[in-house]
Amino acid sequence: MRRAPLLIAMLAAALAWPIAEQFLPGSWSVLDAVKSIFIFAILGLALNAVTGFAGILNLGIAAFMAIGAYAFAILTNDLYPFQIGFWPAILLTLPIGALAGFLLGAPTLGLRGDYLAIVTLGFGEIVQDVLKNLDSITLGTQGINPLPAPVVPWWKPGEDGQGGGLGLVDLAEETQGAGPLLSYYLFLAFVVVAWLVFRNLERSRVGRAWMSLRSDELASRSMGIPPVRTKMLAFATAAAFAAFAGGLWASWLSSTGEPANYDFQISILALCIVIVGGMGSIAGVLVGALVMIGVNSIVLVKLFEWLQSKGLGASGSVFVSPNSWKYLLFGLALVLMMRFKPDGLVPASGRGERKPSGGRS
Amino acid sequence: MEFTSAEVFAQQVLNGLSNGMIIALIALGYTMVYGIIELINWAHGDLFMLGGFLALTILGALGLEEASGPMAVVAVLVILAASAGFCGTLNVLADRIAYRPLRRAPKVSLLVTAIGVSFIFVNLGLFWGGVPMEVFSGGIAAAAPKDFPALVPSRNLLGTDDGVGFTLRDLLVVVVTLPLMLGLWWLVARTRLGKAMRATAQNPTAARLMGIDVDRVIGSTFFLGGALAGFASVVYALYNNTIGFQMGYRAGMDAFTAAVLGGIGSLPGAVLGGLLIGLIRAMSDQYLEARWTNALVFAILILILVFRPSGLLGMKQREKV
Amino acid sequence: MSLLEVRGVTMRFGGLVANEDVSFAVEPGQIYAVIGPNGAGKTTLFNTISGLYQPSAGSIRFAGEDTVEPFSAAVAARALVVGVATSVGLVVALNVEELWRIAIGDNYAYGEAFPWAKAAKDLLAAFPGLGAWWGLGVAVLGFVIGLGASLVLWQRSRRTPDRIARRGIARTFQNIRLFSDLSLIENVLVGMDARMRAGFWSCLLRLPRFRAERESSESDARELLAFVDLGDRAEEVAKNLPYGLQRRLEIARALASWPRLLLLDEPAAGMNPSETNDLMRLIRRVRDRGVTVLLIEHHMKVVMGISDRIMVLQYGKRIAEGSPAEIRSDPTCIEAYLGKEEHG
Repeated sequence: MRRAPLLIAMLAAALAWPIAEQFLPGSWSVLDAVKSIFIFAILGLALNAVTGFAGILNLGIAAFMAIGAYAFAILTNDLYPFQIGFWPAILLTLPIGALAGFLLGAPTLGLRGDYLAIVTLGFGEIVQDVLKNLDSITLGTQGINPLPAPVVPWWKPGEDGQGGGLGLVDLAEETQGAGPLLSYYLFLAFVVVAWLVFRNLERSRVGRAWMSLRSDELASRSMGIPPVRTKMLAFATAAAFAAFAGGLWASWLSSTGEPANYDFQISILALCIVIVGGMGSIAGVLVGALVMIGVNSIVLVKLFEWLQSKGLGASGSVFVSPNSWKYLLFGLALVLMMRFKPDGLVPASGRGERKPSGGRS
Repeated sequence: MEFTSAEVFAQQVLNGLSNGMIIALIALGYTMVYGIIELINWAHGDLFMLGGFLALTILGALGLEEASGPMAVVAVLVILAASAGFCGTLNVLADRIAYRPLRRAPKVSLLVTAIGVSFIFVNLGLFWGGVPMEVFSGGIAAAAPKDFPALVPSRNLLGTDDGVGFTLRDLLVVVVTLPLMLGLWWLVARTRLGKAMRATAQNPTAARLMGIDVDRVIGSTFFLGGALAGFASVVYALYNNTIGFQMGYRAGMDAFTAAVLGGIGSLPGAVLGGLLIGLIRAMSDQYLEARWTNALVFAILILILVFRPSGLLGMKQREKV
Repeated sequence: MSLLEVRGVTMRFGGLVANEDVSFAVEPGQIYAVIGPNGAGKTTLFNTISGLYQPSAGSIRFAGEDTVEPFSAAVAARALVVGVATSVGLVVALNVEELWRIAIGDNYAYGEAFPWAKAAKDLLAAFPGLGAWWGLGVAVLGFVIGLGASLVLWQRSRRTPDRIARRGIARTFQNIRLFSDLSLIENVLVGMDARMRAGFWSCLLRLPRFRAERESSESDARELLAFVDLGDRAEEVAKNLPYGLQRRLEIARALASWPRLLLLDEPAAGMNPSETNDLMRLIRRVRDRGVTVLLIEHHMKVVMGISDRIMVLQYGKRIAEGSPAEIRSDPTCIEAYLGKEEHG
């Protein structure tokens, strides 16, 4: 079985969803939540490069997301003199993220697997603390807002009135952005670009070198693969795209939110996406993002809205808030997948019981 | 009332050592489990948190929140025993259900599973806070920190109210943690179980061939480590008068850093590391800035891992070909 | 000139001496065998040659060059850059809020154009002030730490397996170490990585260089798989291959980097007589491709049948060296090793 039909089906569904939504009852409108699936798909693809391909457990991917979000905010918000606009800022998050990844990776990538995981976790915590404590620059726990929504030069804003679901205020119209529908397709296009980037890398000497390190580091070194430099490439690429996802996230929310929004929970959510989908499987990560964010931001939310509309559970009780089931959801996802389906829902070629799809691309 | 700078320093040393003893007790659990199956037991800090919730529940159920005098001593003993037994059992269950089936899996799978277990524990703690009991403020605002009854007053034992304070609570920390550490050392160094644990840590296959029931030894290790976390949770709660469902993460990271600093796998290392981390935190709060303390602890963790991964008292490991 | 020249190599692990003063030379085009009882230090010697261990004493020269890279101006320059960057970075990190205020906070008024030149000037003017304080002390400290760390890194990385492999020494392992979730052809392509030239961007954007290299490297990889008689299984996953064939794949992978010297660590271990015969033929064909072979083997039939020269190790020391005929008649060797040999 090849992955192509699955990917094409998902792409077609994503393209058609906004149109399909027109014909569904208003309470089915989840356009905005689907955008967060796109953002987390990019984050998942980034984490997959480092954890799935190169086999380095990175528990601090949210830190790079935070760096991207704050970089985007400082480069665009009018509290700061830069104000370079959406496109230059969102593109600059890539090199900024890569630089941050390089700075963390350079001294630490020689470490053993579980120690390196702890280092990435520590980095995630330090970044949060630094963003919070440097409040004269980052406004501390306030977060920086408003931030520009995506703009497309030849598109006149406000041509469609499709609103977001889930009670999240869509600021795209207020800030003269591209409008929710166009930004939906723009985010989808970013996912496609990220997918192409990681697919190209996977099927080249770069991806093979990453996978050989994951498979057997010693044999890989003995074949002439320089371990630190190769891991660095994976680490920095992942950091770049995580920062990019962070920039998109901030643009989508029109705010960075407080630094604690980029905590360990987000890193683990990204890890769940990769593990549920299948480590090292690009198609799997996209499925993982759909499943995890779908359950987390759509199914749980709708379920509890429905429960409360039926008068079940007092409002304010911890048991009927979708937020208070997140930890359990992530925890069970990790434990059950590791126990029963360690290769994920859509295993990468060469893993699980699948026959390989071959070396030719 | 003014403190001289020497008094401030002495007080911070005392505070640091008290907190350090608690951290050390948690760190021992990390180091024991790591020593025997090379697993960073991520859920350990959250186990500690659940121990605190159980203690508070028992106090509420038995109506001992206001206990004083001899009744307070009884109450403390009861919650110590209950939390230790509970955390030990829960840790063994986690091993049985989640970790044991993965003994042959790659180490990363085990670590990821432990993170998963940790998240499940955190969620249990969150829900526990929503239980409609008076000690949990009737279950409203489940996520908010809970007040823990001040069974042990913070009376200064050095006589005066001024000057350096060594309180009844500091004494409690010493009275609980020191015998536990000595007992653990005796158990590992002198008993049959301890010998079996050391053998399993060195080489599980060889230990199995020599007739050691490796799974039982690993189970015992999980129980002991968990029980220490249970003791630590009660001491922590009595010392600080507050518990919350997210306290496991912070305490766990401090304790893990302590275990790594001392050399993970080494029992004296965990104690030394715990005391050092306690001191560093106290000094940083006083002389640097409290808001940078957590970042400092993590920076220390990263620096140790980069420059001396074997820690202060640990042994170097060689790559096997 | 010898291709590989091992001089007085001693390898100690704590109190244990695994190799003591071992010297030998392998000439180009030879098949050279190292034999000896279990625990004689053969694999340790291999690991030392392939860069996994640093010899406690002695030198290893390959193709006339020492495999330890000398301290060069380039290394010193890198250390200097790291040191300066570390110290500047520390000053900036410790004063980031102050620097931000001087350059941006004080110059930017909401809604007005930002005076970039003035900000840059203020920033530069502020730097000496910060440096003159304890910042300077920190900078010096950072410099020393950065310099020291980069020297340590250099020291650690100078004789690593990947560098040795890139110089033209490939190896196989006693307990086969394939990339088990990759296909056969991908295993060989990883071996070929050392001579590929397409860079990161060229791979990411699929530039012409990447496409050309992909064509040529895949046809080379198929040719190598055919050479070890695995040509028809190129797309299979390595872990599904039977044991005997895994050895062949490992040899193909090692040959993929076009090495000048191939180290084979007990290639015939666990093979039946017919597989062993095939293996001997394969090793000869490898030599005929122009690759010099250094092997460790227990199997006397293989060793005596294909080797040009043999060295015998016992308790980490070389006890004899010579042609197969000389070894067969050497009384020390017969006593030390051949006498106990069961395979014959």
